Amino acid sequence: MAAGVLMAGMASCDDMFTPAIENIKDANTIETEANFADQVLGNAYILMPYSSSPYNDVATDDAVSNDLTNTWLTMAGGAWTSQTGVSNDNWRDRYASIQYINIFLQKLDKVNFESNENLDIMFHDRLRGEALGLRALNMYYLLQNYGGYGTSGDLLGVHIFTDPFDATQDMNVPRDGFRACLDRLLEDADEAISLLPDTYVNIRTNNEVPQKYAALGVDMANYNRVFGPTTHMRMCGRIVAAVRAQAALLAASPAFAASGMEWGQAADYAATVLDKIGGVAGLSATGHLWYTKDEVGEPDAYTDHSEIIWRDGGGKNCDLESDNFPPTLYGKGRVNPTQNLVDAFPALNGYPISDARAEYNANDPYTNRDPRLAAYIVTNGSTLAGSVVNSSVHQPVNDNDKDGLNAESGRSTRTGYYMRKLMREDVNPNPANQVTMSHYTKRIRFTEIFLAYAEAANEAWGPTQGGSHGYSAYDVIKAIRKRAGIGLDNGDAYLESIKGDQAKMRELIRNERRLELCFENIRFWDLRRWKADLNETARGMRIEGNTYTVIDVEKRNYGSHMVYGPIPYGDVIKFSNIEQNAGW
Amino acid sequence: MISIFKKYVPAVLLGSMMATSAPVSAQDIEEPLLADSLVQLAYRRVAEADLLGGSEKISIKDLMEKNHINDLNSTTLKGYIPGFNGGSLWGADTDNGGVLILIDGVIRDLNNIPPTEVESVTFMKGAQAVVLYGARAAKGAIFITTKRGQQGDLRVNAHASTGWAVAKRMPEYLGATNYMLMYNQAQGNTPGGNPNYYSDEVIYNTATGANPFRYPDVNLLSDDYVKHTYNRTDADVEITGGNDRARFYTNISYYRFGDYLKAGEAKHNYTDRFGVRGNVDVKFSDHVTGYVNTAATFYGARSAIGNYWEAVNTFRPNRVVPFIPVDMINSSAADALQTVMNSNHIINGMFPGGNAANSTNILGDYFFGGNQKFISRQFQFDAGVNIDLSKVTKGLTFGAMYAIDYATSYYTNYKDEYATFVPTWMNFNGKDEIVAITQEGLDKHSGIQNVENSSSRQTQHFSAQFDYTRTWDALHNFHAMLVAAGWQRSQSGEYHKTSSANLGLGIDYNYDHTYYAEFGSALVHSAKFAPGHRNGLSVSGTVGVNFANIGSLKDNGNVNNLMLSLSASRLKQDMDITGFYMYTANYEKEGWYGWAPGGQAAQSPRRGPNEDLTFVTRKECSASIRGDFFNRALSIDGSLFMYDRDGLPINNSTKLPSFFSTYYPNASFIPWLNYDANRTKGFDFGVTGRKKFGEFELELGVNGTYYKTKATKRDEVHDDAYQYAVGKDVDGIWGYRCLGFFQTDEEAAAVDQSALGSASLGAGDLRYEDVNNDGVVNNQDRVFLGRGGWYGDPFTLGINLTAKYKGFTLFVHCTGGYGANALKSGTYYRPQEECKYSSEVLGCWTPENAAYATLPRLRADAASNNNQDSDFWMYSRDRFEIAKVQLTYDFASSLFAGKVVKGIQLFLSADDLLMIAKNKKIMETNVGGAPQNRFYNFGATVSF
Repeated sequence: MAAGVLMAGMASCDDMFTPAIENIKDANTIETEANFADQVLGNAYILMPYSSSPYNDVATDDAVSNDLTNTWLTMAGGAWTSQTGVSNDNWRDRYASIQYINIFLQKLDKVNFESNENLDIMFHDRLRGEALGLRALNMYYLLQNYGGYGTSGDLLGVHIFTDPFDATQDMNVPRDGFRACLDRLLEDADEAISLLPDTYVNIRTNNEVPQKYAALGVDMANYNRVFGPTTHMRMCGRIVAAVRAQAALLAASPAFAASGMEWGQAADYAATVLDKIGGVAGLSATGHLWYTKDEVGEPDAYTDHSEIIWRDGGGKNCDLESDNFPPTLYGKGRVNPTQNLVDAFPALNGYPISDARAEYNANDPYTNRDPRLAAYIVTNGSTLAGSVVNSSVHQPVNDNDKDGLNAESGRSTRTGYYMRKLMREDVNPNPANQVTMSHYTKRIRFTEIFLAYAEAANEAWGPTQGGSHGYSAYDVIKAIRKRAGIGLDNGDAYLESIKGDQAKMRELIRNERRLELCFENIRFWDLRRWKADLNETARGMRIEGNTYTVIDVEKRNYGSHMVYGPIPYGDVIKFSNIEQNAGW
Repeated sequence: MISIFKKYVPAVLLGSMMATSAPVSAQDIEEPLLADSLVQLAYRRVAEADLLGGSEKISIKDLMEKNHINDLNSTTLKGYIPGFNGGSLWGADTDNGGVLILIDGVIRDLNNIPPTEVESVTFMKGAQAVVLYGARAAKGAIFITTKRGQQGDLRVNAHASTGWAVAKRMPEYLGATNYMLMYNQAQGNTPGGNPNYYSDEVIYNTATGANPFRYPDVNLLSDDYVKHTYNRTDADVEITGGNDRARFYTNISYYRFGDYLKAGEAKHNYTDRFGVRGNVDVKFSDHVTGYVNTAATFYGARSAIGNYWEAVNTFRPNRVVPFIPVDMINSSAADALQTVMNSNHIINGMFPGGNAANSTNILGDYFFGGNQKFISRQFQFDAGVNIDLSKVTKGLTFGAMYAIDYATSYYTNYKDEYATFVPTWMNFNGKDEIVAITQEGLDKHSGIQNVENSSSRQTQHFSAQFDYTRTWDALHNFHAMLVAAGWQRSQSGEYHKTSSANLGLGIDYNYDHTYYAEFGSALVHSAKFAPGHRNGLSVSGTVGVNFANIGSLKDNGNVNNLMLSLSASRLKQDMDITGFYMYTANYEKEGWYGWAPGGQAAQSPRRGPNEDLTFVTRKECSASIRGDFFNRALSIDGSLFMYDRDGLPINNSTKLPSFFSTYYPNASFIPWLNYDANRTKGFDFGVTGRKKFGEFELELGVNGTYYKTKATKRDEVHDDAYQYAVGKDVDGIWGYRCLGFFQTDEEAAAVDQSALGSASLGAGDLRYEDVNNDGVVNNQDRVFLGRGGWYGDPFTLGINLTAKYKGFTLFVHCTGGYGANALKSGTYYRPQEECKYSSEVLGCWTPENAAYATLPRLRADAASNNNQDSDFWMYSRDRFEIAKVQLTYDFASSLFAGKVVKGIQLFLSADDLLMIAKNKKIMETNVGGAPQNRFYNFGATVSF
């Protein structure tokens, strides 16, 4: 009896008889809480495949890492297997995103966002459009990472999931064909584009309300509430169109040509993005320097730089600089551009340095060059953040002077170069005197889509034809090179000299793409879709006094099957119906 | 659920009441035996003679007479009884809490009770011993009984001892010159490396030591910063007394010890503890007794800020000069002098050195970085009452206990920042001088005392029990008890509380102390499961026979006691269910996604739902023997045990693709299932012999414990049969099978080990077996290499020798551990990149020493091929240790007749005197932590 009394006393204690209360939510909560629904979709936004810093560039011929434990470094040296972490990340995160999207879409009809019916309709349209756009985006990255020829010889894609899965479901299902995946992607993208505005900006008159909403009686104010700039940086029409253009380019490329995607169609998809800004005329004059202090400044949360299709909100930090500044500037000197990349920059007059007309001087290699070289790469003797960087082999002034080639393992450059691109020179990563500045992560920018157009148009219609569009590959490349500041004095004589040669034009477009998009995690997959040489040795420049010696820095060791990435081993072994790509 | 649980109480109570009214003629309860011969079991004490298997007792009070122990812990308790191997009881895993520690029946910490306060310790190793303690005791329990007051005149015992801890071994590292030479070798062995990374000039100048401020060779283990001994002093006073109405016991204790470190602030490092424990037993009436126990502990430590021992393992000798003489600044370098003189930290004419990459260093931290104090306080209070209800029903008693403990701890510190200075050197006529100075960082003295890591804990513990104890016809000894118990612990910063609630029913019976039967049952309750799944029933049954009381043995005076018992149990536990609501998907806020100027957290599922998640089961059977022969000149004790641990929770990943869970957001769609299972088998034994040769008395005890735990069920899928964990030891070390060094570069080139992550392999790198013969060495070629002995050595041995001659007592305590392996790990043994080099590095492979190299060739990259876990790094931890030797002298009691002083004892002792092992050096070297101690102690006890 006394025990009973005491037990009752203790019964009031949470966690002893019943668990202390928590606000337990599950997927059904989507139906009752509109913001919860958005937060479930939010997982797909968190899981997006974009990075604020270069990572896989160090596994290409553009750069090496001075972090000897870097997984991309070891991978490029031959350690890439279907068990490597980098093989798993996209497989896991893309599908997980699609799962959240499918949960969201499945329940979306039951969500009530607004009591005002018209607002509710518009919220449904927008969020459905965002979700479908995100699903297309995830499919693009899945195809890029895992599309390939299976052991059976078929060009395979990945699984197409349009319904949520749960733990009771049989997951042992075969991959869908590449083409089927592409069709799914295009279908999602098309529907998303039909639901979303091109960008989220305020309309200024009731007349601008789209017909389908005007017919319901929607006014400007309500339209702007759903589709106005307070939604900026979420998935919008032009982002989906850009993703569709990227996916089409991938599918039309040599590695995936069997998909049946036509170059012309790929060019058309790119042009739908570019036409909105007036084609070549819309090319941002400072687009190639989008990351600099002058261009980023203090970014406005509701608008974008003219180069930017999609970015994140960013923030004040010095992370990139702490990682990549040379050691004397309190950086770790991580990403070291290669001689291979430096050599890809033409002379100021536009000629490749291998061409005699470039007047390239091997003993004074950094003068008279494409201004983008100085903009993107710290070369010996150049100035970064106000101080001169000495990356030659030299007697250090004091213990802080570690900028020389291999002066200190893990901090100094291994190639004789440091990265300059992406960083702001008004930042100071010195922990004792730290200065941080605004940075944002570019997700997609117009130059990439211009280059996609140029590449596809050149293949489809030749260098100087523009299909149904008013501009050709030649026009695009000319504008980009002019913006870079090369060939200004000779009317870009080199470009003029090859504009009749589709093959040379292809080479030039690929080179421009390499330069413009360097350190943006693009070349790793470009080399693969082009079926280009993956094993070019990464080289560097050893400078001692006035002697310039090109050195081998890092050998690449990719097998021929590594054009296509591996399906993660952990899932292949569990599911007999998943066909691995050939060679893995 | 609560309601069902509450209904259970009166129902069972009623049942036990009815049992008590059974019409059996009864006799008086036997006279209570002396406390010394009683063994504490769950909620009751039994006479040692009636003890079945599954529990062991050590009298700490007796042990301390010949073996002075400063701290109770798993090491100092090891080797005295069968079944406890220092890590666990009967090899039970120590995951998620492990052994339950009870002090006077309340869950408390083992590290907060000085041995002088302890009467005895019971090791409850078998399932039958812990069933009544409910879910949280399912991995065994250790019950510590504190001393209690004795009736009689006031008695005072004072103990004091002082001793010196001596470092067994310091790790050994290369000096700057050797470091640089070896690093150059490493660079030379690395693709693209520079074998002249450190120039001959720098190496030469370092080697000559002409200017150690320009060419540093810093040794953090030098006598300037580290000493090899420190003192520890303990003292306590026990006071006890009382009469037949009330008795009390008080113990006031204090200890303080220093540290091996003496650099800067560290020379003031100390740790101390002051504790008071007291208890009172009161007899309120013939039918009602009660007690109150209290304890208060004040624990403090002061130290410099920073992990010095870790720095010892990472701080390379040539990187930085911590202190540079001001007078090395060139007389005309006025700016440089001015910069340095602004420092607040010029000591002995030296200013702090550094550079951009090392703007601070551990010596700077220790001299200029401030200090911290750790403060921990514990208050414990428990009280109980026992009521004899024989007026209601003969033999019935009621007892109840309630305890409440508080513990708080926090750090206070002053953290200072300091500037360091980077010299630019020039050589003038053969003399190095500083011509310029660059400053790194700033001097900042913090006037603010920080309070950090503050933590508090509250524990409440309650139990109540009815006992019914009767003997009929002087033959039928019956005892039944009904227990209700619960405890709960809340910890600051944790939302949920650790809880245990159960009802227990225990019945034991013996016929004339010859035939025994015991039954234990507990209804355990856990709020961790879904409604409808929160109760579990644990049961245990034991039968025993004391053959010494039967037949011919009964008349044979040589067999004093020979108890055989068999036990079978099935326990439910929720310890391995590590959280609440694990049966629901439970979306929680996670991560952040932004747009426009704002953003919000996403909502991510923690897991998939599974309403059926339930208790983990321990199913056990055991057989035990206990015997005393030849008038206790020989005693034996032993058990065979086997138990399954079934239904361990897992995420069943083999049925589900990898994308069911992500890291960021931290989310999962995979439910928790009761799935995995392990089986443990083992035995323990103890033999003690006692012999007197005139005035010479000898006692020798040997005990041992062996266990083996195999995985019996796992959720796994592999390509090759040898990869399966099922059927293998759960404490397995897995890795590659090493085939030795590549003898030639050609041999290395012919083998594909590229998946292991080293770009180019050559002679001197490690070669591994391609176990599945698929042409490549990769993750699938990892095999089971040996047992790690994670829950104690597979076989643990204890030997105890006591020899007495007149007032002298010599005690020797030895322990042995066999069957466990470990991998040499960390950069001390597996050098890579820019790590500090230990003296082990001298054994690295070179073409010259290929025949007797002990390590693969040095590489300046991550050396990930060579540093894979493999049997190359595996060593046996087999060892035999002389854990304690003590010589004690008790002055003859005749000296004290009629004196105030009643007795004096003196002792000399040595802890951890000697290890005999093939791999002694590895096992005795602590890397990245303070060194292991030998401890030499001298003490005295005076009784008044």
